[in-house]
Amino acid sequence: MTDNLLNFTSLNKKQLVELDRTYGWSLSALELAEVQRQFGETGRQPSRGELETIAQTWSEHCKHKTFSGPVRFKSGGKVKRYKNLFKETIVKATRKLNKKWCLSVFTDNAGIVEFGKNGKWGLAFKAETHNHPCAVEPYGGAETGVGGVVRDILGVGLGAKPVLNTDNFCFGYLDSKTKLPKNSHSPERIMRGVVEGVRDYGNRMGIPTASGGLYFDDGYLLNPLVYVGCAGLIPVDKIAKKVIPGDLIVSIGGRTGRDGIHGATFSSANIDEDTSASAVQIGHAVNEKKTLDVLMRARDLGLYNAVTDCGAGGFSSAIGELGSETGARVRLENAQLKDTHIQPWEIWVSESQERMILSVPGKKLKKLEVILKAESCEYCVLGTFPGDGRLLVTHGAEKVVDLPMSFLHGGVPNFEKAAVRRKVKISDGSPVSPAKTYCGILKDMLAHPNVCSRHSVITQYDHEVQGGTVIKPLQGKYGDGPGDAAVIWPQAATLDLNDFSGFAVTHGFNPAAGRIDPYQMALHTVDEAVRNLLCVGADISRTAILDNFCAASPRDPEVMGDLVLAAEGCHDAAMAYGAPFISGKDSFYNQAKDAEGNEYPIPISLLISATAPVEDIRKAITMNFKEAGNPVYLAGVNRRGLGGSVYGDMMVAGNNFISPLAMKEAVRLYLAVSKAISAGCVIAAHDVSQGGLAVTLAEMAFSGGLGAEIELAGAAREKGLGPLELLFGESPARLVLEVTKGKETEFLKLVKGLPVNEIGYVNEEPVLDVKDGEARLFTENINALKTCWKRELL
Amino acid sequence: MKPKAIILRGTGTNCDIETFNSFKYVGAEPELVHINQLLSGAKKVLDYSIMAFPGGFSYGDDISAGKIYAVKMSRLSADFGAFIKDKRPVLGICNGFQILVKTGFLPENKAGAQVSTLYTNDCGHFLAKWIKLKINKKSPCIFTKGLPDEIELPIAHGEGKFIIEDKKVMAELVARELHAMTYEENPNGSMLDIAGITNSSGTCFGLMPHPERNFFAWQHPDRPAAAREAAAAGFQFFKNAVDYAG
Repeated sequence: MTDNLLNFTSLNKKQLVELDRTYGWSLSALELAEVQRQFGETGRQPSRGELETIAQTWSEHCKHKTFSGPVRFKSGGKVKRYKNLFKETIVKATRKLNKKWCLSVFTDNAGIVEFGKNGKWGLAFKAETHNHPCAVEPYGGAETGVGGVVRDILGVGLGAKPVLNTDNFCFGYLDSKTKLPKNSHSPERIMRGVVEGVRDYGNRMGIPTASGGLYFDDGYLLNPLVYVGCAGLIPVDKIAKKVIPGDLIVSIGGRTGRDGIHGATFSSANIDEDTSASAVQIGHAVNEKKTLDVLMRARDLGLYNAVTDCGAGGFSSAIGELGSETGARVRLENAQLKDTHIQPWEIWVSESQERMILSVPGKKLKKLEVILKAESCEYCVLGTFPGDGRLLVTHGAEKVVDLPMSFLHGGVPNFEKAAVRRKVKISDGSPVSPAKTYCGILKDMLAHPNVCSRHSVITQYDHEVQGGTVIKPLQGKYGDGPGDAAVIWPQAATLDLNDFSGFAVTHGFNPAAGRIDPYQMALHTVDEAVRNLLCVGADISRTAILDNFCAASPRDPEVMGDLVLAAEGCHDAAMAYGAPFISGKDSFYNQAKDAEGNEYPIPISLLISATAPVEDIRKAITMNFKEAGNPVYLAGVNRRGLGGSVYGDMMVAGNNFISPLAMKEAVRLYLAVSKAISAGCVIAAHDVSQGGLAVTLAEMAFSGGLGAEIELAGAAREKGLGPLELLFGESPARLVLEVTKGKETEFLKLVKGLPVNEIGYVNEEPVLDVKDGEARLFTENINALKTCWKRELL
Repeated sequence: MKPKAIILRGTGTNCDIETFNSFKYVGAEPELVHINQLLSGAKKVLDYSIMAFPGGFSYGDDISAGKIYAVKMSRLSADFGAFIKDKRPVLGICNGFQILVKTGFLPENKAGAQVSTLYTNDCGHFLAKWIKLKINKKSPCIFTKGLPDEIELPIAHGEGKFIIEDKKVMAELVARELHAMTYEENPNGSMLDIAGITNSSGTCFGLMPHPERNFFAWQHPDRPAAAREAAAAGFQFFKNAVDYAG
């Protein structure tokens, strides 16, 4: 193989592919041919270090070739071409919306929006995936996932202070062990490892993990999805960064080792039997905490001109990115190492954790060193940013890389991918009469893994560190009700206890709908996220969202078709809701192959993370019923369709269509409800989502320790909607509101002309009683319902 | 004059800023000081009137929670000892309580040795939740003065099970009413449901729950909060320290 490396420019296609497999670069033959062509022009052979650098820089993980590449989409005989799918959907919506409160979008390590009243602060928000590592080594993968996204926030602008972590996980059903191919981790083992990893890293970092979700589906049996997010506060005058030629390259935090070699390239391929766990990094939260403490002090003293994190590709990506205009001169022998048997090129691409790269003016190094030593934080000066546009990396006398920066950042070739609309059989028949009573179905549904209580995960996270989690993931009379969104009052960042500005964070996610209609899934997902923000009283007119796509192999045209449709949905929803995307992430090749050669692709999975300001955190509201006698209202129209619902997963439903979302109507409704919440008319709000209206009512009741008398006859409904779809259908754009007694007149004035109808009242007696005209649908004690719901998942 | 409060940090301390904010709000002049600054002699604990050990995972909680921080303090134990003997208020919250136990400052004993520990919760892992606590009205603790019989605070710890092996030490602690605070429903297996203990002068107090997280009414999980008075149960702990020192 060394021979092949030495003769790189004269290899044939077969030899190139062989070479790629041996070294695990995950580059295609066409990409390697392009590398060959460019080196052919220089008249010399590339070094191992150079090829490794190119493999990292050009990887799917770093360059997002699929989403930012050309696509040819075929649907029903029509063909649509995209030059850059991402720019023509997600980015386009943000550009068109052009919100002046967006301070930084799609350029830095995270998106930044304005925060608070005084124009002093920005809120940085970013979500990441760490799927491949968690499939192989759940605990380490989850830990380093958290560590990585926190470093994104530390590395945005000149550094933001993290004030919130988010986590969303997808696993196979915990009882699906019998379906497991041999040599694979059971979903239970993966879940346990992931939760413990997020817990041990996030808790040690002192960042509250307060918002997230859990989703079970056998599509994730071998490919769990682990989305980790982080939000942080940054002074607006610390958002701009620029490397000045002559600056020193300083690495602070962890040491460099052989863990995490080829993380970026391994995440850019399907997982198979041969995948090695050495591609997963080893985390050490304490080092990252030191780095955080140093960075915040050094930032405020203006001791560096730019910063970024070492993520995928390690030094090669971080220094390559910072020095993309100035070039970089790196002496690897200066690196602090944790392994003496490491090759120079390995130092250069290692993804060892907890390292940040700073661009430090020479005369400020002394001051920085004082802080580093005070916080017991290790560092090393790796070299300089010279200003000649050349990347020269050496280790003693050995030349590791010698390339113009333009080669790395300009040269990446991209190839058109084929996309087709997946054929799905849609039926719109009437629901099949169930063998069980409505009450029986509701009880099973409350215990369904996608509905039941998440307390056994949430209580393992320190979700209140920093003292600012004012709306908590668990809320209500007993502190155990399922919240719609978290509200953060970042007192530990602003240090101002008289400023009550806060922000809400939540998510939307529904891959079950994506299997049927990826376009509608995207709309529903954005809608769910916005509705969740509304439920805590956030200012939804200032919603900012993150897209986070996970998909199987993009070599499958149907997978690409799903992606195109979902991306188009994202664009249309962002426009309708006036909610710009500020950052995003995509992860492909979430497809595993077992020993027998069976493929396990995941369904198209779109996580929408959303944030909106909360003007006065003291006025934010929770989801539980508060007081007997208060009237209960249903906002929104109940529509038909059991596609993508929990009911559809549990029973033979009779139809699988998804009610299309009427976005304009939804926005009008939400803005009116938002006014009613601001006016203090609404004291509790909860969205109707997984499990449908029956689950929403049950959760509001048992979380408040109060019953309710519900009469649905007055609820707005689509023609032909029967009680089953009314109770368990998951049509979008609906929420249940508890209105303060005595404020009904004011409330009704604010929602006049909109589908908002009284459906009953909160009752002292702990019983949920639901009627639909003459028919009593069910009546059950709220504690019996709660017992079904409050399962221990771990 | 505002009493000066030293908020002690180290690697992995992570409740320092909200503890700082809380002391500032009740009228102290807080300062964040890293243990390295004490060890280098740049700062001296005896220059302050109040001392706080905030929560977190000092030095990763490696070996056992609070242990490494306690070892680092040992070189300065004369200063810390003098501070406590002088009856200046000392508050250890969560990891801070663990540090006070590992140094042997709590429970108070003549040898100044570690006589108890805070061990892994019975459930085997970290646990964060709101709990009800009973305040021991007979305790000399200055931090819990004026609190109602029952309060609510959140806990967030993996090692909070309070254990004293020597029955005599425990009997003495109880006889002198040094168990200032107990759990209504024991979340971690602590002996006698103990959540917080003080020394005989009542000025050195360690507790597992987090008073800085129920400092204001809007930090409580039950809403609406705006209608209630701003100061919540946790406020009183900090106010008492400042009143005492002032």
